Amino acid sequence: MASLQERLGDFKKAFESGAPPYNVPHEAIEMMHRATAELKTSWIEGGALKVGDRAPSFTLFNQDHVQVASTDLLHEGPLVVSFFRGHW
Amino acid sequence: MMELEALQGINSEVKALGARIVVLTPEVERYTCGVYKKLNLTFDILTDRHLKTAEQFGLVFILPDYLRELYKSVGITLDRFHDETEYRLPMPARYVIDKEGIIRAADVNADYTIRPEPSETVRQLVLTPQ
Repeated sequence: MASLQERLGDFKKAFESGAPPYNVPHEAIEMMHRATAELKTSWIEGGALKVGDRAPSFTLFNQDHVQVASTDLLHEGPLVVSFFRGHW
Repeated sequence: MMELEALQGINSEVKALGARIVVLTPEVERYTCGVYKKLNLTFDILTDRHLKTAEQFGLVFILPDYLRELYKSVGITLDRFHDETEYRLPMPARYVIDKEGIIRAADVNADYTIRPEPSETVRQLVLTPQ
């Protein structure tokens, strides 16, 4: 199977082509590029937590409305925490 | 979505290493549930309401006005998805945290089209003390 980045790259190419099924106007693509470039140069990445930092603990509801505490999970083993923008 | 599928692809390996995947999203639960079912996920998606935890990780940015309008025009109404009007988002990020709560691996990118490979996350977990 192709790597995740390869698959993302293929999608990006199709999405930015302006062709069906996405039919994204060129101006919209330019706006998205501009926003990414601005965010990149804002140095926000440098403010994110890094290797060696202590991770903040959290207690949040899962998809079944059950509360999940990171401290409970860490008691059992290491955690992979992934931040997801959304279903869109 | 593609990243969630890719994470699902490594979930059994992650579990075999004694670890666990959790995904945090600012979206309210009615959207989370749909994603969970559609992708047949076997790890939790947690609602990080109003991006409280993403903020503590230093990942939150505000979507610029011009992109807000564009998103709205195609039905990406983040105010509704997040139950707030501020159009804030987390940068995509993946962390490996050891049992002591210390970050062992951190992948953060302001360019949302770039994501770390799941195989790399497995490799980092192997290096993380159990």
